[in-house]
Amino acid sequence: MVSNTAVVEQEAEFETTAYHPVESELGSVIDIDEFSFWYGEKQALFGNTMKIQKELVTALIGPSGCGKSTLLRALNRMNDLIDGIRSEGKIAIEGTDIHDPRVEVIELRKRLGMVFQKPNPFPMSIFENVVYPLRVDGIRDRNLLEETCERSLRDAALWDEVSDRLQDNALGLSGGQQQRLCIARAIASEPEIILMDEPCSALDPIATARIEDLIAQLKENFSIVIVTHNMQQAARVSDNTAFMFLGRLIEYGETKKMFMNPMHVRTSDYITGRFG
Amino acid sequence: MKAKEPKKRKEKRETEIPSVDEDSGNHKEPPPETAEVAETEKSPPGRTGLRASIDFKARGEPFVWIMGGALALGVLMIIGFLALVLWNGIVTFYPGPVEVVTLKNGKKIAGEPFRSESFRPSEDQLKGVDPESRRAIREADGFASRTLYRIGNFDVYNEDFKWAVAHQVAKTETPPGIFFVERREWGPFIGFIKTLTLDGRSVPGEKVSLGTLYAAHDEAVARREAVRSIEVDEIGAINYYIEEDRLALRRTELDYGKKSAEYHTEKEKFERQTKERRAGFTVLKKRIAAINEEDEKYKITLTEIGGREKQLRLSELVRIYPANDLSFFGKMGVYFSRWGEFLTDDPREANTEGGVLPAIFGTVMMTLLMVVFVAPFGVVTALYLREYAKQGTLVSIVRICVNNLAGVPSIVYGVFGLGFFAYTIGIRIDQLFYPEKLPNPTYGTGGLLWASLTLALLTVPVVIVATEEALAAVPRSMREGSLACGASKWQTIRNIVLPQAMPGIMTGLILAMARGAGEVAPLMLVGVVKLAPELPFDSFFPFLHPERSFMHLGFHIYDVGFQSRNSEAGKPMVFVTTLLLIAIIAFMNAFAIMIRNRLRRKFVEGQF
Repeated sequence: MVSNTAVVEQEAEFETTAYHPVESELGSVIDIDEFSFWYGEKQALFGNTMKIQKELVTALIGPSGCGKSTLLRALNRMNDLIDGIRSEGKIAIEGTDIHDPRVEVIELRKRLGMVFQKPNPFPMSIFENVVYPLRVDGIRDRNLLEETCERSLRDAALWDEVSDRLQDNALGLSGGQQQRLCIARAIASEPEIILMDEPCSALDPIATARIEDLIAQLKENFSIVIVTHNMQQAARVSDNTAFMFLGRLIEYGETKKMFMNPMHVRTSDYITGRFG
Repeated sequence: MKAKEPKKRKEKRETEIPSVDEDSGNHKEPPPETAEVAETEKSPPGRTGLRASIDFKARGEPFVWIMGGALALGVLMIIGFLALVLWNGIVTFYPGPVEVVTLKNGKKIAGEPFRSESFRPSEDQLKGVDPESRRAIREADGFASRTLYRIGNFDVYNEDFKWAVAHQVAKTETPPGIFFVERREWGPFIGFIKTLTLDGRSVPGEKVSLGTLYAAHDEAVARREAVRSIEVDEIGAINYYIEEDRLALRRTELDYGKKSAEYHTEKEKFERQTKERRAGFTVLKKRIAAINEEDEKYKITLTEIGGREKQLRLSELVRIYPANDLSFFGKMGVYFSRWGEFLTDDPREANTEGGVLPAIFGTVMMTLLMVVFVAPFGVVTALYLREYAKQGTLVSIVRICVNNLAGVPSIVYGVFGLGFFAYTIGIRIDQLFYPEKLPNPTYGTGGLLWASLTLALLTVPVVIVATEEALAAVPRSMREGSLACGASKWQTIRNIVLPQAMPGIMTGLILAMARGAGEVAPLMLVGVVKLAPELPFDSFFPFLHPERSFMHLGFHIYDVGFQSRNSEAGKPMVFVTTLLLIAIIAFMNAFAIMIRNRLRRKFVEGQF
C-alpha cells in the first residue's frame, strides 16, 4: 500500500478520469453522475461519473476497499440495508433516478438481478429457488412458473444438469452449480441488468470457466456489471473496464485498450501488479 | 512418569524457542542456537524448573481438569437423580410377599415388608428384652434392627404401618393362602378369605377357586362401573341441563325483570321442563337400586391375622391376589394391572390411591395451551426486536428487561396471574358474558386458561431470547439474496428468515415447554386443585372448558407427598408420579425435537 503522504501528493491527478469506453449501439443503461457515498462519517465514493453501456459487460476492478462493491450495491440500493448511509449525486437507470422517492426499491431490484460472491441458494428445491422472484410477485400460474424455470435454467446453462431433479434441495448442488442457480434466479424476473459481485471468487477454475462462458452468452440479452479481483477475468469477459482507487474512478475505458495501453499511471501500476 | 520425560523435554524446547528469540534483544541472553545447545547438553537446573511450570500453565491442564470434573459431577448428579426416581418408580407397583411375623409375646403381624433400618433402642425399650438379645445388641454397639410392615386394615387397626423389632420377633413366615386385597375405601386389607357369597350362596374360603373369584370380581366391577356411569354421565347430564335452564331463566330475569311477561312464560317453561327432567332421576335411581340389589348378593368375608372379620361387597374390591402364591407371571400381571389403573383411573382416597389420569390430562393440556400462547407471542416480539426495531439504547434496555423477566420468582407470576388474569380480566368477562352465573365465578377464578397464560408469561423470555438468537444466526447472504430478487423485507422474513430460524425457535419452545410443564408454584394460585370434579374437556358444548380448574402432576406430587394423611404410604406414589411427570416432559420434548430435526435436515442437506 502507498503511504498517506503519497496519496495527498497524487490527489490532484485523481480528479480527472481517463474516460474512453466502447459505446454501445443501444446507448447507455446506467448513468452515474457525480455520485458520492458515505458510511456514517467515512466517505467511500467521491463524486464518480460514468455511463454503463447497454448489453455490454462492464468490469469494475481495483484494490480491496476501493469502493467498487459499494458502487455496485448502490445501483440496486442494497446499501439501504446499512444504518447511517448517505449519498449525493445521481444514478439513473434508463433515465429514472433510483433515489427518486416515487421509485419503489422493490421494483428497482426486480430490474437489476444480482449475483453474490458466495453462492446463496435458499434452502428449498431447485425449482422454488429459480421461481422465487415470481413467487414474491404473487404469481401462482403453474405453467408460467415452469416455463420461467426452464428458460432461466437454460439461460444459466444448468438445465441439462438438473432438469431431472428440480424438486431436490438446492443445497445438494455443487458450488459451481449453486452459483449458476443463483444466476438463473437473478434472470428469472427478466431484469435488464445483472450485477455480479465477484461471482467466481468462491469457485474452482473449471466452475469459473463455465460462469465466464455464461457471461459471454448472457450479454446478448442483458447488460452486465461485474466486480472482480481477477484481472485476467476482467480482461476475458468484459467490454469495458472501470478501474477504481480509494473511492475514485481512475480510468474507465475499453478493456482491450486498458490492459494493453492504460492511460493512467495508477491503472498501469495496478494491472502490472506494482501494488494492490 | 519417567518414560514420558524425554518427550516432554522435546516439546519444551520447541515451545521455548520463540520466546527466547523475542527476549534476546532486551536481556542480552545467548542467541537461540546456543540456548538450544546448552539445554541439550547440560540443561541448567534453575531454568528447567521455571520452564516446566510455565509449560504446565500454558497448556492449561488444571483448567481442563476443573472443567472435566465439573462436567463429570453434573452428569453424575443427573444420572443419580434419574436412577433414584426410575428405580423407586419402577419397583413401587411390584407386589411383594406378605409376611406373617409372630412376636415373642404371641402377637402376630401380617404385612408387606416396607423397609428395614437399624436403630439404637433406648434403655426403656430394652427393659423387657431377654438377656440373649440384649447381649447381641450390646455387641452391635447398642444397635438393633427393625422392619416396617405395611399392615393395611386401617379400619380395623387404625394404623397402616407397624414396626417389628428384630429381637422381639419369634419367627417370620410367608404362609400360603393369605390375600392382599386392594379396596376402594380404607386402603388395602391383608388377611384370609373366610367365605365368598355368590348369588346368595356361601362358599367357605378354602373351597374358593381363584378363577371363580376373579370371574365374580370382574362382574362386580362391571356393575360398579355401570352405577358410576349412570351417576356421572346420565345424572350429570340431567343436572347439566337443569342448570342450563336455570341460567336461561336467570338471563331472562336480568334482561326483562322479574315482573315482565317474558319472565313469567320463561318461568313456567322452566318449571315444566325441570319437572320432566327430574322425572328422569327417578328412573335412573331405580336402575341404580336394581344394580345395587344384585350387587348385595356378591360378598366376601375376610379375616385378618388376629381373627377379626370384615364383610365386603365384591364390587368394593379393586384387586385381590394371593400374595405368597403368585408365580412370576402372576406378579407381572398384578404389576401391569396396577400401572394400568394408575394411568387410566381417577384418584381415590385423597389422591393416595387410584390413578392420575386427570392430572396427566391437566398437565398435558396446560402445557400445550401454553405453547399455543407463547409461541406466536414470543416469536412476534422477537421478530420486531431483532428485525424492525432500530437497534439502540432503548432496544438494549428492553432486551435486558426481557432477560431479567426470566429471573423473577415464579410465585410472583402466580400472584400476578391471579390478580390480573382472574381477578381483573376474568371478573370483567363474567360481568359481560356470564352475568346469570354470578355470584359463582366462571372466568373470575383460577382455571386452565389463566394457568396457561401465566405460564406463557413466565416462559416468554426464553422464547424471545432463543428466537432472537436464531434470527441473528440466519446468514446475511440469504437475506440479501432474497432482497435482491425484489422481495420486500416482510417477504424475506416470512419466506427465508423464519423457516431457517425455525429449528432455533423450536429449541426455545422446547426449553419453554420443559420449564412450563415442571412449574408448580404459580399454578397453585391460578387454577390447580387437589381434586378436580370435572375434566376441562367433556362431551358438553363447547367441549373444551378453559375456565375450569384442573389437576396437575407437579401439584399432585406435592399433595400426595406432603399433604396426605399418611406420608409413608404416599412416598412410593411420589416417586411413581415424579417418574410419570419426567416421562411426559421427556416425551413432549422428544416430539418437539423430532420436529426440529426434521426441519433442520431440510436446511443442512448435503452442503458441498
